[in-house]
Amino acid sequence: MLLTTVARQGLCLSRSQFGVLYRHVVPMGTTANEEMNKFWAKNTRLNRPVSPHISIYKWSIPMMMSISHRGTGVALSSGISAFALAALVLPESYPYYLDLIHSMTFGPQFLAFSKFALAFPVAYHTFNGIRHLAWDLGKGFKIPEVYRSGYIVVALTVLTSIGLAAM
Amino acid sequence: MAALVRISSVCHRGVSPLLFRSSSLIRPLAVQKKDRDCPYLISAKIHATPSNYAGSGSKAASLHWTGERILSIVLLGLAPVAYYYPGPAVDYTLAAALTLHGHWGLGQVLTDYVHGDFKIKMANAGLFLLSTVTFAGLCYFNYHDVGICKAVALLWSKRLD
Repeated sequence: MLLTTVARQGLCLSRSQFGVLYRHVVPMGTTANEEMNKFWAKNTRLNRPVSPHISIYKWSIPMMMSISHRGTGVALSSGISAFALAALVLPESYPYYLDLIHSMTFGPQFLAFSKFALAFPVAYHTFNGIRHLAWDLGKGFKIPEVYRSGYIVVALTVLTSIGLAAM
Repeated sequence: MAALVRISSVCHRGVSPLLFRSSSLIRPLAVQKKDRDCPYLISAKIHATPSNYAGSGSKAASLHWTGERILSIVLLGLAPVAYYYPGPAVDYTLAAALTLHGHWGLGQVLTDYVHGDFKIKMANAGLFLLSTVTFAGLCYFNYHDVGICKAVALLWSKRLD
């Protein structure tokens, strides 16, 4: 069965198996958001269980990096919110509490490790964020490119975190 | 004879592959390979609102997406500025940019995982409250305390006892 395709400003001509020629595509009446809500409403109403997905699918580097991007984002945001809340609630000033914590630290390694632990999620989220922005420009979607950019992000993260922790 | 093909993305010359998505195709078709191993896809159901159709429906979601990217780039640029020119201007800008970036980011997380009209409303209300408190707290810190840039500098200046 031969099908000819012509692309015209993003629209496609197509011929179905019944020989009906669709000249134009009709814009959907619902938004993606509405359709998503309809999906969830129907399936929760019917009490359907969710098929296993992340519990059975083989993990890949891009998958792990993607959820790590989300994880570091949530963690950093929570940290900032906790900091802001503390600033509003605690009576003393920042230098006071900083010195307090510093006096409690268990040796120089702890200090370097703490700096590394703070720098690491910031660095990872930043570098992977740049990777995301490149994708948003349409670049780097080929699978080998995805892996290569991923490895570069991880390498830069480790190096930057070590560098910052040493400062 | 006929192959059932499931295609999940459209690739079109000059158009970002992110813009189009076709639903699964459950009818026989043959895919022709054109230049640059970029197959043109045939679909009778395209979930897209091409710009040459007078769109019913607002551009709010699209503008939000663009705003998120612009804010990310602004935040990226703020980092070296904060390092070389610390001070109240950068402190407050950082407070705003960080809070908004986090607010929008967490908003996407909620959109992905929270379903059901009431739950979505509640979750978003909670997020809004959190972001408001966060921004208020950061501004308070900038005004009454040392400020974000100085705080990072002080923290990093701590060395072995």
